[in-house]
Amino acid sequence: MFDVVFRSWPLLLAATGETVLLSVASGLLATLLGILLALGQLFAARALRYLVEVWLYVMRGVPLLVLLFAMYYALPYTGIDLSPRVGGILVLSTYFSAFMAEIFRSAVLAVPKGQWDAARGIGFHGWRLMREVIVPQALRLASASYVNTMIMLVKGTSLVSIIGLWELTLAGRQIVERTLASFQVFGAVALIYFVLCYGLSLAGRYLEKRFSYVH
Amino acid sequence: MSIESGRAAIELRGVSKRFGSVQVLNRVDLDVHRGKAVVLIGPSGSGKTTLLRCMNFLEEFEEGEIRIDGEPLGYSDDGTRRRRPEREIARQRAALGMVFQSFNLFPHMTVLANVTVGPVRIKGLPRSEAEAVARELLDRVGLGHKLDAYPGQLSGGQQQRVAIARALAMKPKAMLFDEVTSALDPELVGEVLAVMRQLAESGMTMVIVTHEMAFARDAADQVVFMSGGSIVEAGPPDQLFHAPQTERLQAFLRHFREGYRL
Ligand SMILES: Nc1ncnc2c1ncn2[C@@H]1O[C@H](COP(=O)(O)OP(=O)(O)O)[C@@H](O)[C@H]1O
Ligand SMILES: [Mg+2]
Repeated sequence: MFDVVFRSWPLLLAATGETVLLSVASGLLATLLGILLALGQLFAARALRYLVEVWLYVMRGVPLLVLLFAMYYALPYTGIDLSPRVGGILVLSTYFSAFMAEIFRSAVLAVPKGQWDAARGIGFHGWRLMREVIVPQALRLASASYVNTMIMLVKGTSLVSIIGLWELTLAGRQIVERTLASFQVFGAVALIYFVLCYGLSLAGRYLEKRFSYVH
Repeated sequence: MSIESGRAAIELRGVSKRFGSVQVLNRVDLDVHRGKAVVLIGPSGSGKTTLLRCMNFLEEFEEGEIRIDGEPLGYSDDGTRRRRPEREIARQRAALGMVFQSFNLFPHMTVLANVTVGPVRIKGLPRSEAEAVARELLDRVGLGHKLDAYPGQLSGGQQQRVAIARALAMKPKAMLFDEVTSALDPELVGEVLAVMRQLAESGMTMVIVTHEMAFARDAADQVVFMSGGSIVEAGPPDQLFHAPQTERLQAFLRHFREGYRL
């Protein structure tokens, strides 16, 4: 009964590779962009800060699928020609960077004010102050929500199948169209997503332990 | 007349500060001379914390000036009252050690790292040298055996002594203490006051906000009484505690004696 899954295994594996690639690339970009946006919100001059905030509200307020459609159908009219893969990564990373930004921003703000005072009192300022005192504590505060958002991102990659980007979900649909074994194939696809996300959860737990200190 | 011919280590002239519409400091003048311990007393809300934070430029102030060894703090020297670049302000802050009521140790660092991070990262001291200094200081405050502990594993009194060592490690010109025993269980207050007393005897310049009147009487060279954002009375401890001149200080001390049965 599960022959189908075994026979399609190489295809599923290759598609999983594509999903992992999408996740890693979008995850890295979203993290970088999220850090920049959070820094902008926290420290930039007022005008830039407002701009960043408006951008974040828009990104958080529009469904991912709508962003994908906008990129897929509207962008060609502007003369910009992106491959589905690059377009998918761009949309995923900008969309999730908005959530990352909020996580990083609130983590920095959650570091007690006394920590800033103590660090400044010693003579820290600027980037040094952030790196030595604030960021290590903020990372710990952010880690749970960060991993959570990463998991959403991995699952979010399944949506790019709709704009024709070949990855795990689209591969599953194609196999089902040929074999009609929808239950087995989508069962396998779901299992693969689950393993990826569960792995992320475990990694998150581990990191949280590593970063933790006695309070 | 003081013997030292130079100016005071910390000079405040007409320092005023507002939080919104509330006048928190009102034209404060104060000289803290080298090697002296000045104790600030006064009712809650009288501006003691704010004054101390101004001395380390953790708060800006709208009027007046503060000089550390003659150098204007926080604002530029050219009379424009422009805020100095952050790098310069950081250098000025590093010259004064600050100890807070809530310890504010860095929770992600060991005791040793808390005490060495400033000397290594700010002053560029070699790690081995910074650690030697830190060990000696931690020995002095009785915590030489806790180098690898994290702040969360220490009692409040121990944490506060580490915080004092952390400030001292920067070799500051003066130390600022803001009610450093107020958050401690009563049985832990003594160990912190002992360290401060020892520091005063060693000739450290200190500004101390405290409600420990017995400590103020013994350790202070000068006591300053603040009320409503102004200095109301100042003088040697004997005079302030035993012959208060103003109505407000008399009332404050009476209140205190009743409350604390001194
Ligand atoms: N960050 C702040 N914002 C607004 N008001 C403040 C702030 N900090 C202190 N104040 C006010 O300034 C006054 C003096 O406070 P503070 O310096 O803490 O006094 P003290 O240390 O003598 O108790 C109080 O009325 C307090 O409410
Ligand atoms: Mg106070």
